[in-house]
Amino acid sequence: MNPVFDISLHHFLIVSFALAGAGVATILTKRNAIGILIGVELLLNAAGVNFIAFNKFLWHNTTSTSTGLDGMVFTIFIIVVAAAEAAVALAIFLNFYNNFSTVDVEKADELKG
Amino acid sequence: MILMLPVLAEASFNQFAVVGVLLLIAIVFGVGNLVISKLMGPSREGPIKGLVYESGMNPITPARRRFNVRFYVVAMTFLVFDVEIVFLYPWATTFPSLAQDSPLNVLFLGRMLFFVLTTVIAFLYAWRKGVFRYD
Amino acid sequence: MSVMADKLAGVWPEITLGLGACVCMALGLAKASSTRKLTSWVAGLFLLLSGVLAIAGPQPTSGLILPPQMVLYVKLAVVAVGVVLLLVAAQLPSSWRATHRAEEGIEPFDPANVMRGEFFAFFLFSLAGVMLTTTANDLVWLFLSLELVSLPTYVMVATSQDRIRAQESAVKYFFLGALAVAVFLYGFTLIYGATGFTDLSRVQSAAATTTSPLLTLGIVLAIVGISFKIAAVPMHFYTADVYQGAATPVTAFLAFVPKTAGFVAIIILLSMLPQWPTHGPIMWLLWIMAALTMTVGNVMGLLQTSVKRTLAYSSIAHSGYLLVGLLAGPALLTSGGGGSGAIGNGIAAVLFYLVAYALSTIGAFAVLGCVQVDGHEADSFDDISGLSTKHPGLAAVMLVCVLSLVGLPPLLGFIGKIYLFGSAMAHRGENPAFVWLVVVAVLNSAVSAVYYLRIIGACYFGKPSGRTEPQHCPSRRIAALVCGIAVVVMGVAGNRLVTLARESSQLAQPSQQTPAKVVSDELPTDIHGG
Repeated sequence: MNPVFDISLHHFLIVSFALAGAGVATILTKRNAIGILIGVELLLNAAGVNFIAFNKFLWHNTTSTSTGLDGMVFTIFIIVVAAAEAAVALAIFLNFYNNFSTVDVEKADELKG
Repeated sequence: MILMLPVLAEASFNQFAVVGVLLLIAIVFGVGNLVISKLMGPSREGPIKGLVYESGMNPITPARRRFNVRFYVVAMTFLVFDVEIVFLYPWATTFPSLAQDSPLNVLFLGRMLFFVLTTVIAFLYAWRKGVFRYD
Repeated sequence: MSVMADKLAGVWPEITLGLGACVCMALGLAKASSTRKLTSWVAGLFLLLSGVLAIAGPQPTSGLILPPQMVLYVKLAVVAVGVVLLLVAAQLPSSWRATHRAEEGIEPFDPANVMRGEFFAFFLFSLAGVMLTTTANDLVWLFLSLELVSLPTYVMVATSQDRIRAQESAVKYFFLGALAVAVFLYGFTLIYGATGFTDLSRVQSAAATTTSPLLTLGIVLAIVGISFKIAAVPMHFYTADVYQGAATPVTAFLAFVPKTAGFVAIIILLSMLPQWPTHGPIMWLLWIMAALTMTVGNVMGLLQTSVKRTLAYSSIAHSGYLLVGLLAGPALLTSGGGGSGAIGNGIAAVLFYLVAYALSTIGAFAVLGCVQVDGHEADSFDDISGLSTKHPGLAAVMLVCVLSLVGLPPLLGFIGKIYLFGSAMAHRGENPAFVWLVVVAVLNSAVSAVYYLRIIGACYFGKPSGRTEPQHCPSRRIAALVCGIAVVVMGVAGNRLVTLARESSQLAQPSQQTPAKVVSDELPTDIHGG
């Protein structure tokens, strides 16, 4: 079966760049803490897409398994760290919510100077 | 070597025609159905008709309720096991390719069991911390 | 099996710290209050044990990017400063309401509310992260160890005191931290894309042959992301709020631990390049970062009313000074491989100054932590006003530490600054722009003296407020004393230490190191070729 069109590395990079842009935009514009966390996850996943794409296109006709899977392995660790970060974030927000009764980060303005 | 900007210029948009056609069909199908049912269907209004559930069930509370905090704690604990699978999966795909009588078999299994054991310790810790206590 | 033993050889101190953290967590959940109070002692024990293992344990034979002496130096510095930090923090959990009540028997012990064990566990995990950063030989490893440094500190800040401001600062800290992680991770993907390897020694050899702009872009993004950890300019916004919001012992922790990890990571990344960046985009990035960081830190430091915020901006400014040393790079090859000249090795200066700055600033924070005003830790200039009449000892430590931060001879900070700026001047032949950076740095040091002298002025010439009461923290006083003495003694006898730091930083020139042999079938295929 012929592919409808060739998907090259560039397409993946554009997708990941768009994901990263969406993540940064979310972080900068959202006021809800959970919304910002979603932005962070978008950014981390953009990095994951990059790793998978580079791995696929740099090593696509290799016979070696010693280095040919580095990018994939890295992505697994990114998933894990993203999960750990989400857990820490939820704990911090829960704490924050118990004191401020909101997850709107702009309500937190006690510290200034 | 790899700069992304020129790509958009050189990519022929004809490549995306198929995707465009698919999108078009989806939009036409969705909007078409709405329009047709609006035009051809009978329209009656009323308090009973406007209820949330057409089955006759009466809604009792607003849908947007706060979840109990303990669900978030359970969600965090779930993450531990969720993430464990991520590591088990690549291991599980390579493990069968080892030879039957290879001495590496025990080693590989032992490593993964050790890893699972660390998760069990996390589980015990959460238990002692009272995560699974509902009262 | 021997492969495994070889791989583990370099990380026994870290494994010890990890085990210690688990033991601390378990002890923190013990039924008897007296057992729970042992946690800080156990943490200290494991810390010392890891120090012993770092010296006497099995040494890694291969697979290090940094020279082994430098790895050892950083690990020992982490242990030594870690012990001081532990002394500062030892009584912190007792000041939390729930923990205090459970320990005094006012309330029955509830595991969900008592966080003594977790605090010391996170403390050890974070230190283990710094140690792992030094042994990193793979991008995955570097990424995970930097995360191991940061993730525990988010929780430590959030739970450090029973005040809303701690939670608020933790949220701010986490968001900027998460953004920074994503940025340097994106940089790592580009490094991988440019070279095709995550193994750092292979990245090094691949970087020697490639001229891809992706590699430069990747390293730039990675440095910008890591600047969060060292509190340098594009990612410094959190510093003042977090330093003020966290309890003082945690603030002291933040001033040393993430900073050290960040600088070590940047040194590793820069050593990926075929030669140390004395020209080109990365050099200018570091140059601008250094100049902006110290200027922003010092100018903002002038405007503060809180001592903790002032010290936070001083922390930013010191990152700027440290970046100057980083820019000067490894020793000049002309001076015989760098072993002969004391001045000229920027990395040695950075390693030395990290410890010098840590001792000075931890001493200042420890003094703040020893004073209590209206039931809270001292924060504003009024709170420490007239400290010398009531607590002459604490005031003397504050005086010595702050003067060391100014960089007055013969204190520790003075030697540090001489080596930092001197090494940049020694490298001026490579790039005349270094001279201007040193000029900016010296001007900044002069400006910074104004707000440091305000702290001393408040201590010695302010009117005693009468609301201050001493905090019952014997070990924190000991830590303050240790820092004060160390700043003076090491300042006077600092030459030996500098020699140690210099020997430890004989950073192998990447071109001289034998690159990992790249077998032809393992070369990444050209992207356009397939």
